[in-house]
This record gives sequence, structure tokens and C-alpha cells, in this order.
Amino acid sequence: MDPAHSGAALPPPDAGDFAAILRRQGCYPQIPQMSPAGASLPSHASGGVTQTHGTTILAFKYADGVLVAGDRRATAGNLVVYDRADKVLEIDADSLMAIAGVPATAWEMARVLEHSFQFYRRSQLQEMSLEGKVRALSKLLRDNLGLVLQGVGVVVPLFATYDRQAGVARLYFYDAMGAQFEAADYAATGSGSGAIRSILHYENTWGKKVLAKRKESEAVILALRALDTAAESDTATGGVDRRGRVYPIVKLITQAGIRTLAEKDLARIFNKEVR
Amino acid sequence: MIEEPYRWVEAIANRREYIEHQLAGGSPIAALSYRDGILLFTLGRERQKLFEIYDRIGMGAIGHPGDIERLRMAAIEIASTEGFARSAHDVSLRRLANYSLSPALKAAFEQIYGAPYLTRMLLAELGRGGPNLFLRLDYDGAIHTNGGVFGRAFEEFGVISGSQASAAKMELFLRGKNFARASLEDVAAIACDAWTIGHLALADGEGEDLPSAGDIAKHRSAQLAAASIEAAVLDRSSALPITWRPLPESWLRPLLEASD
Repeated sequence: MDPAHSGAALPPPDAGDFAAILRRQGCYPQIPQMSPAGASLPSHASGGVTQTHGTTILAFKYADGVLVAGDRRATAGNLVVYDRADKVLEIDADSLMAIAGVPATAWEMARVLEHSFQFYRRSQLQEMSLEGKVRALSKLLRDNLGLVLQGVGVVVPLFATYDRQAGVARLYFYDAMGAQFEAADYAATGSGSGAIRSILHYENTWGKKVLAKRKESEAVILALRALDTAAESDTATGGVDRRGRVYPIVKLITQAGIRTLAEKDLARIFNKEVR
Repeated sequence: MIEEPYRWVEAIANRREYIEHQLAGGSPIAALSYRDGILLFTLGRERQKLFEIYDRIGMGAIGHPGDIERLRMAAIEIASTEGFARSAHDVSLRRLANYSLSPALKAAFEQIYGAPYLTRMLLAELGRGGPNLFLRLDYDGAIHTNGGVFGRAFEEFGVISGSQASAAKMELFLRGKNFARASLEDVAAIACDAWTIGHLALADGEGEDLPSAGDIAKHRSAQLAAASIEAAVLDRSSALPITWRPLPESWLRPLLEASD
């Protein structure tokens, strides 16, 4: 366990960094990276691998905090792989990561992130700062860049969390290279995000109220309608499966922490306000 | 010096004596089951002694801070890697102690040209449906559990202290109490009494009998006035998988001073 016990070894400079430990042990990333000599994996363009993708997530600030919602569909090319995918993942008591892109990498990233925050708190005896958490996801995205360049495993996430110091909920979005942007009002990624952004921009600018002033009930209706609209033109976005009663995932971050809307509440709102 | 077996045994005995002497001043730590989980409790003056290891595992330790820190880091790293690679359900205190910590402690203890770990640890794991597990892990790698196997009666607590006599008295006291279904408030008062008995025995280890209720109350209020309270729970009713929750002194102190 500790060969340097009798010596005066100082802890490594990456103390508290769980991803560094996983890398050292060869546990992460689990997919081999491109060798310097050239691509070791067939590239997407050559049609070697048809990847599973998850699509269309949105988040916006409303009166109590941030609402994060995602459709349930995962696709590979023209094929629907799964219609109950959960793309809005709880990272800790205050933080959500929502993913568009390849679930294999995204879920792995979420697991690394979740464990990183806990590991940091346990080992360093203090909570990781909000900035630290936002940067941690950025670092994971950068780690993934080698694969992305080969056309495999691209992930474009949103990250939402409650800032306990300032007493406000915050929302960030990323690009595939790991650049982070703080969203003022709303963010959306995935194949259906064009439609979503248009709707949210329209509602925020010319709607009855700006998004930040909307009540929870109004915010949920807007999220469901926006996802339904995205599914209208984008085959990779799952709408509501009326027969299977599969509804989008909607989670809210407020001062009280994270709350997931129950399926029966979503069904009620959907039947009354969206259908 | 240690070419002959006799010399080696002597060296080990000396080393044991040295470590026991180093640990002798260690303030007691008690971990007790209660209705919603496990309470870990101690009074202290300087540094933190109770730590979160994983979702359902907590640790208390006495000894040298550098050694405690090294073992604590190793435990967290092993548990976290296992929890990541497999699942949080696969992280178990039994495996952590038996396969990782105990062999490392024993090896360091018996390599007499290297430094041993100057520490004694109390580890507690909140059972999933089953009973709670309490382990005392000593500097030589010896493991003492809260029983329930091999004919030993099952106990709902674990304690460590600077001396064997002190820990024995705390155990004697706790065996006479019934707290596994008690509220947090009630179990905190019992844990504080157990700590007091252990602390009294550190100064005056002679005698088999427990101190009188009056002596306990007197020493307890004197110590409460002089030291800070450190306590945490592994809380089964937590909404998250993480069950560790430090208890604020501002909540605990009025409670314990009122029950004096």
C-alpha cells in the first residue's frame, strides 16, 4: 500500500483529484485513445462504428432556480436504440449534469464527476468550490478530445448547480473541447437544440414574462412544449410516448436541492397543457 | 541485532511497548448504533478525529496525525476506486479492513527497521438491511469486531481508547445499556457518558468497577466545559446514498449540558 512509508514522501500534487488516481490505475478513460502514429480506431466517417447518441436537453432559469429537462430517446443512425434513456444525471445534492451526445462516454464522465466531488470532500475535508466543479467537467471533456477527433464519443453537456454562497442557481454549457460558458437565461444542446433555442429566445424576449420570472408550473409547461416541438422536426428527439407513457425527465434545482418531477405529475400537466 | 529469533521477539515487544506509550494519551472514541444509524462521538481539544470514508463507512482514530492521515487517504482511495469500478454496494468495511488495511499495518509493525503506524482506528459501517459493523483496527493489524460470529455475543457499539483498561471499562458500561432503538438525543447522552468513563480510566486505570453516577456527571461537566464536542452520524434516513453527516456542536452542546 505504501512503499514510501518510512521515507518522507509528500503527497502528490494531484491530491484530491480522483480522475488522476483512476488514470494512474488505468481505470479511466476505459476506451483506448488514439496512438500518436495514427488512428487506432476506425473513424466515424469511414462508417466503421455506428454510435449511439442521446439528444436534446434544455435548461433555463425560472423564479425558484434552474429547470433541466431532457427527452428520453437514444439513437444510432436511423435506429432508435432506447426510449427510456435518462440524460439528466444527479452528480451531488446540488448539481445536475445533462448530456447530449454519446451515452457511453457521457455516463462514464458523470460517474467520474460524481466520485470526484465526493472523493475531494472526503479526502480534503472541504467541499469542492463551485468553480472547481465546473472546471472538473471541463477537464474531463478535454481528456476526451482524442476520441472526439476520431469521430467517437463526442459529448456536449450542460451543468447546473446551486451556488450556496451567492444563493442563486447557476447554469453552464460546454463545447466538445471543454470550453465552459455560463448561461444568463437558458441553454440547450443536442440535435433538437436549434428549435429549443428559438423557442426559449422567443419566450424570453416577447413572451408574457421573461423566463426568470416564471413560476414552476409555467416553467414545466414550457419545457414540455419545447421538447415536443423539437421532436416534431428532429427524428433523434423522442417526443412523449403516449401509449408507453414515457415522459421527458424534468428536474429542478432550487435552494432546497434537487427535485425530480414525478411521472404522474408530468402526465397530468402534459394531458392538460401540452396535448 | 536481530539475527537471532529471540532478538526479533524482543524488538517487537519493545516496539509494542513504545507504541502503547505513544497512544496512551489518546482521547476515547465511541460509536453506537441508534434508531436511524450510527453515532460516532468524542471530545477533543485539537484536531479532527472523526472522518468519512465512504457512503456508509466512518472512521475515528487516535495516534500520530501523519499516520492517521496516510491510512485515512488509503482507505478513501481504496473504497472510492472500488465504488467507481464496480458499485457502491461492493464497498465493504470487512474487505477494506481484512484485505487492505490490516496486512499493511502488520507489515509496517513487524519490519523493525521501518517505522510502524502509530495509530489505533475505529471503523463503523452502516448495515444494508443487516446489522451494523464496528471494527477496532490496531497498529499491529489486529482486528477486533463487535461479535455476532463464532459464539461471541453481538454488540451494537465499538470503542477505542488510549489504553486497554480504558476501552474495557467503556465496553463494560455500554454492555449494560440498551440504545439500539434509542433516539439520537438519548444515544448522544450515553455516548458522552461512555467517553467520560473512558477518559476517567485513562487517568486512573486501576480497579474493575465503573465510577459512580455522581463521579461520571462531575467529570463529564468539567470535560464538556474544557473541550470541544466532535460527533457525526451515519444516517440511514438520508435521502442520498451518502449517509455521513457531522453534527454541529451548537446543536449537541446544549443537549448534553442539559442532561447533566
